[in-house]
Amino acid sequence: MSSGWTAEAAAVFAKDWRAERRARHAVATLVLFAITTLVIASLALGPIGATPGERSDVASALLWILLLFAAAAGLPRVFVHEEESHTATVLRLAARPSAVFAGKLAWVASLLALLEAVATPLALALFDLPVASPGRLVLALGAGGAGLAAATTLLAAIVAQGRGATTLFAALAFPLLVPLAVLAVAATRAALGGGDAGGVLVQLFLYDSTIMVAGFLLFPVIWAP
Amino acid sequence: MPVARLAFEGLSRRFDRLVVLDRVSGEVESGGLFAVRGPNGSGKSTLLRCLAGLLAPDRGRVVAEEDGRALANDERRRRVGLLAPDIAFYDELSVSENLELVARLRGLPPASGRAVAERLGLPAARPWRALSSGMRQRLRWAFAVLHRPRLLLLDEPFQNLDDDGERIARALLDEHLENGGLAVAASPVSLPLPRISGELRLDR
Repeated sequence: MSSGWTAEAAAVFAKDWRAERRARHAVATLVLFAITTLVIASLALGPIGATPGERSDVASALLWILLLFAAAAGLPRVFVHEEESHTATVLRLAARPSAVFAGKLAWVASLLALLEAVATPLALALFDLPVASPGRLVLALGAGGAGLAAATTLLAAIVAQGRGATTLFAALAFPLLVPLAVLAVAATRAALGGGDAGGVLVQLFLYDSTIMVAGFLLFPVIWAP
Repeated sequence: MPVARLAFEGLSRRFDRLVVLDRVSGEVESGGLFAVRGPNGSGKSTLLRCLAGLLAPDRGRVVAEEDGRALANDERRRRVGLLAPDIAFYDELSVSENLELVARLRGLPPASGRAVAERLGLPAARPWRALSSGMRQRLRWAFAVLHRPRLLLLDEPFQNLDDDGERIARALLDEHLENGGLAVAASPVSLPLPRISGELRLDR
């Protein structure tokens, strides 16, 4: 990977953050969605489960449902906006497709990391959850977030191509995101409750690697004029 | 051997059942300008997008060469300078930030857009969304020539420009051709263009 390629990817990443800092579309939407959902869930459900184990089961699932819905609601715009505003032509003419994918992936991953940084402590506080293994929780959130970012970026690129893309998105999102959600919930539950999550984390890292390789291979075909 | 050469042969392109281009051909070499004329809807923009590698023709082929070496489709797309009315920049970024982004993407020093922006009289701090249509066209010119391409593709190059803007744009085009570049310029009206070496008339 050349320094030129890295500079192109970094330029796409920096551009998206600079635009986001001024427009505040994605961050405001995602953070508000996360806070609202968690507060409503904690008020509606009250104390969930009698034991810390039961509470961590429900809270892990809630946290990842929230992250998946936030990603599905806010992030497909990542390429749609470029196409609708005709700025995609600038990227197609000036940058390598793989560098565009890398820059967008880094941006989505950083947004999700920010969302996790806001939503996770809030969920822990609202549901009064102890964390048995903070290090493993960070690993679970990191690995789950990376997989979610890669899958969402790839799906967002497909959705942006227009005709029939919404159906394709629905058809692809289910098999892509369900295994990720199952693994991420299991890893988070183990980190909160103190169970062994080693095997699940390995599977999560394998999922991440597979989806990222698939993304870098497929994106140039999806992005091609 | 010419520094640059662009040839297209038997290019056809349809959108669903609408035939927009039907077996069109042409060729232009370094220092020359190929003029494409025709009324609205005759396929000028489609032809330029095919030449730029932004649209795949249904039939025919495009050969772009630099220093005797044929450029692959992906490489051609990244090396041409394309000016087209539907190219837009980022609303939230200023002129200088948009040009800095393009420079970084093209592997140029970030400040390399400053000189061409000054020459085109662009307001550096003004965001894209606040530019007039004439200033937007000037920024498209800056985008097209920033990386000093050998192949310049111009779709309605003087649209919306005032007298001063058109004078600067024409000077940029003259310099490009004098330095061994080639150009393809599409326009619905018969614009006076320099160094025309070939012409194609398209009908609706």
